[in-house]
Amino acid sequence: MLDFKLNLGSNADAGALYDLIIIGGGPAGLSAGLYAARYKLKTLMIEKAVVPGGQLISTQWVENYPGFPEPVLGQKLAKDMETQAKLFGLEIVQEDVTSVQLKGEIKEITTIYNTWKAKTVLIATGSSPRKLGLPGEAEYAGNGVSYCATCDGPFYPDKVVAVVGGGNSAFEESLFLAKYARKLYLIHRSGNYSADPILQDRVKAEPKIELMPHNVVESLAFAESPRKIILKSTVSGETSALEVDGIFIFIGAIPNTGLFEGQLELAGGYIVSDREHATSVEGVWAAGDVQEKVLRQVATAVGDGANAAHAIHSYLMHRS
Amino acid sequence: MPMLDDNVLQEVKKALANMDKPVTLELFSQAFECGYCKETHQLLEELSAANPLLQLKLHQFESDAEAVKQFGIDKIPAIAVTGEKDYGIRFYGIPAGYEFSSLLSAILMVSTGITKLSAEAKSFLDNLAKPVHLQIFVTPTCPYCPPAVMLAHQMAFYSDKVKADMVEISEFPHLAQKYSVQGVPRTTINEKWFVEGAAPEAMLIARIKESL
Repeated sequence: MLDFKLNLGSNADAGALYDLIIIGGGPAGLSAGLYAARYKLKTLMIEKAVVPGGQLISTQWVENYPGFPEPVLGQKLAKDMETQAKLFGLEIVQEDVTSVQLKGEIKEITTIYNTWKAKTVLIATGSSPRKLGLPGEAEYAGNGVSYCATCDGPFYPDKVVAVVGGGNSAFEESLFLAKYARKLYLIHRSGNYSADPILQDRVKAEPKIELMPHNVVESLAFAESPRKIILKSTVSGETSALEVDGIFIFIGAIPNTGLFEGQLELAGGYIVSDREHATSVEGVWAAGDVQEKVLRQVATAVGDGANAAHAIHSYLMHRS
Repeated sequence: MPMLDDNVLQEVKKALANMDKPVTLELFSQAFECGYCKETHQLLEELSAANPLLQLKLHQFESDAEAVKQFGIDKIPAIAVTGEKDYGIRFYGIPAGYEFSSLLSAILMVSTGITKLSAEAKSFLDNLAKPVHLQIFVTPTCPYCPPAVMLAHQMAFYSDKVKADMVEISEFPHLAQKYSVQGVPRTTINEKWFVEGAAPEAMLIARIKESL
């Protein structure tokens, strides 16, 4: 089956003053873009990837977003959100933001190609996969170390892989990888898993997956043949070697807030915002995973985006 | 049955309406032992019918030795996107899925002459002393791959010293082996140096500098 995805960006005008610039095109940004466009705000989304959707793009199936009794493909949900927002006039450019100037009446967002200007900014930059921090981890990224099962799973047909993590991502992606791999070890530092119970049941029912609780990955012996990872028991402290062809790491996320350090209030790297999603800087809002909050899901990101767009609309109305 | 459904074809026509100068898609194909030659041929037929400035030229890989040599083609299906000259822009394997955007971008770039390269990148490319061959290994289902392909193709378009190949790795498993590709995108520079992921312009340039 062949399909053809076309996304060439819009002809946005870098000389214009936008009512709102949304940085980041995941579910929070796309929802805010939809609402803002319907409020008739002149809105620009700046997204670094060629296709908006954020983490939805690297998620195989979404089955806890309301309205889809059958699981929906993450990429389809993202594409539909984008189409819907564009229908109402959201402009999207594919550029990587290099710096921001958030203070004052006019905010400036600089990419390597343009400096965009707006009266308000919504930060919806989400988060990126957290790394284990092992020597060699960066060197073998894309060649044995992966953070995206839908991207790299097909490279492991009939192979043996390790997955590290104990949350929803680790469990969901293990079930996906088990379609390719011959054997999968699911490694977690404790015996308490934070993955939803329904996912835990499915993983336990999958004969290819072996749970290895109470273990941490100590090092990667990928220069050896066959490749191994070295595990250390968190109970006994003993180390052991495990032969694997590759390792997938799903141990949470780190917020994409490097651009904003020193310009607005952060807590643990996440952006602090009030119940209207306003940040510590006037005219700047935050929505989705990048905010300091408890539950980071498509469903919560969508609500954040809608609320933030509403607050931005009110703010602009009262100002003019 | 057409490959491009009506919605996609309308989008294609809209995008190609921005074309300025003629572009030729030089396709290298053969009737046997080629996984996606037939599909690639049909795709380019439909694409070239979408705008009169876009032309398809078919070469037989097994018999058209002169063209194979001229364009330096070593595997099929292969597409060279050419305009006033051959810029060294290649697609090996079918540009389907997300890579369809890379193909359209290359066509529009060659036709309009517009690239998004920064001033720094241009000055680096202006002063290149040695040839640079970029190969970007991708799969059609990889959403992070087109930016890497588009960046490399822009460099090839801008500089006569740079050649850039998109390589759809699932069609060429021996290359996955040879270049140890277990994740995409993966870019090789002059066969030896590697970059993981969709590297931003500055990072790719730094890596090219290291390789020279």
